[in-house]
Amino acid sequence: MSESDANTRWVESTSSLGDRSAYKKVWERQSRDPDVAALAVAGHTDEAKLDLTARGFIDILNSTVGLGANDVVLEIGCGIARVGKVMSLECLHWFGADISSGMLNHAAARLTERKNTTLVELATVGLQEFPADAFDLVYCTIVFMHLLEWDRYRYVEEAFRVLRPGGQCYFDNFPLDSKHGWNVFTEGTRYPLERRPAHISMASTREELGIYLRNAGFVDVTVHDLPNELIAATGRKPEA
Amino acid sequence: MNTPTDNTQDRIAALQAELDAVKRREAEFRTKMVQEFLDRGERNTYVHTLHEERAALRKRQQESFADLENLIRKLEAEVERSAALEAELMKVGRSLSWRITAPLRAIARKFQPSSHPPSMARIMDRLPVEGGVFTYYLHTSPFRIYHDDTFTLKGWAWPQDGRSITAIRVNLSGRTFIGKTGLEEAEVIAHYGPQPANPRPGFEVTFETPPGRHNLSLEAQIDGGEWRWIVKTSIWCEPLAK
Repeated sequence: MSESDANTRWVESTSSLGDRSAYKKVWERQSRDPDVAALAVAGHTDEAKLDLTARGFIDILNSTVGLGANDVVLEIGCGIARVGKVMSLECLHWFGADISSGMLNHAAARLTERKNTTLVELATVGLQEFPADAFDLVYCTIVFMHLLEWDRYRYVEEAFRVLRPGGQCYFDNFPLDSKHGWNVFTEGTRYPLERRPAHISMASTREELGIYLRNAGFVDVTVHDLPNELIAATGRKPEA
Repeated sequence: MNTPTDNTQDRIAALQAELDAVKRREAEFRTKMVQEFLDRGERNTYVHTLHEERAALRKRQQESFADLENLIRKLEAEVERSAALEAELMKVGRSLSWRITAPLRAIARKFQPSSHPPSMARIMDRLPVEGGVFTYYLHTSPFRIYHDDTFTLKGWAWPQDGRSITAIRVNLSGRTFIGKTGLEEAEVIAHYGPQPANPRPGFEVTFETPPGRHNLSLEAQIDGGEWRWIVKTSIWCEPLAK
C-alpha cells in the first residue's frame, strides 16, 4: 500500500467528533422552549436577573475595551439577546449573530422595543454573513466553553475581518485555575463517557486566548482576569 | 467680551461636536452597509432562491386546495338540493291523483323508449359527534379526488379550550379508522408557543377510500371522553382506470 493510499484509508477510517461540532443541531434542540433556552445560555430564567447579569457584562466591557454611544457592535453567539437587550440602549446599533434560529426567535421576542438591533442566523461556524471592516466592537461571551478550539479561533479570525481598522474585540471563557473553573471541570468528569453532552463546558487558558488573538493579527492584546472568575482576551485591529 | 482662552475653548467644543457628528454619520453609514450586505447576501444565495420557490409552490398548492374545497362545497349543496327534489317526487308519486292516472301513464310508457325511474338519493349520514373548536392544520388536504385505495390525513391540532386530544379518528360514512396522535411538531410549537395539554400535537390517520361518494369526518377524542369533529366534508373516490 502506498503512503497516499494509506493516508486516504486512514482519513476514511477516522470517526467524527460527534455532535460537539454540530452546533446548529445542539443549540436548536436547546432553544425549543423559551425557559429552556434561557437556562441553556444563562443558567436561569428570571428576566430581572438576565438584565442584571447583562449589566454586569457591559460594565466589564466598559472597563476592558470601552463602549461608545456611536459604536456599531456585533455579538457572536447572542443566544436570547441577554446582553443585547441592555446594550442596545448604550450603542448606535447592536447586531446579534447566532447559529440557532430558535434562540434568535426568542431574542426577537425580547427585542421588539429595540429598533437599533438586527439578528442574523449564522449558517455555520464563522461570520460569512457579514462584510469586512464594519464594526467598532465584536465580542463573544459565555460561548467559547461550548466550542472546539478550531472553531474558537475561526471566530477570532472572523472578528478581525469584520472589525473596522481600530475596532476592538473581546472573547471570554473560564480558566481551569480558578475555583469556579475547577468546579465546572470536575462536574464534567462525572459524566459517563458515553453520556457526555455535546455542549459540555471546556476551559481555555490565558495563553490559548492570547495566541488566538495575536495570530489573527490583533495588536494591544491583553488577557484580563475578571471579577466573575472568567478570563477575557481583548485586542485591537491595527489601523490600515 | 470673550477672552482668547474662552474663544479657544468654544472652538474646541465646536470642533468636538462636529467630530462627534461626523463619527456618528460614519457609524450610521457602516450600520446601513452591514444591513444592505445582509439583504444582498441572503438574496444571492441558492438556498434563498429555493426557499422562495418552496413558498410560492406552497401558496399555489393552498390556493388549489381552496378552489377544490369551494367546488366540493358547491357540489354538496347540489347533492342536497337533488335529494330534496327526489323526496318531493316520491311524495307526488304516492299522491291519490298520481295513482288514479297510473294506467294512462303505463300506456304512454309503452309508446316511449324505456327508462328507469331515478334511484333514491342517499341521505347524508348524520354524523354522531358534534363539532369542536380547534386550532389545526392539515398537511395533506382532504379536499381532493381520491384515486388510491387508502389515504393518510396528516396534520396537527389542539382544542382551543386547552384540553388534550387523546385519540384521533376518521369517520367515513359510519366506518371509523383510528390514527396516531402525539407526533412531534417542533416548528408549530416554536411558532405558537408551548401547548401544555398537547405538547406533541401532530397526528396521522390512514383510511380506506372505496369508490364512490362518502362523508368524511375527522374527529378527536377530548380528555379520553367525548369525540368532536375537527373538519368534515364529502369526498369522491374514483380509482384511476388501469
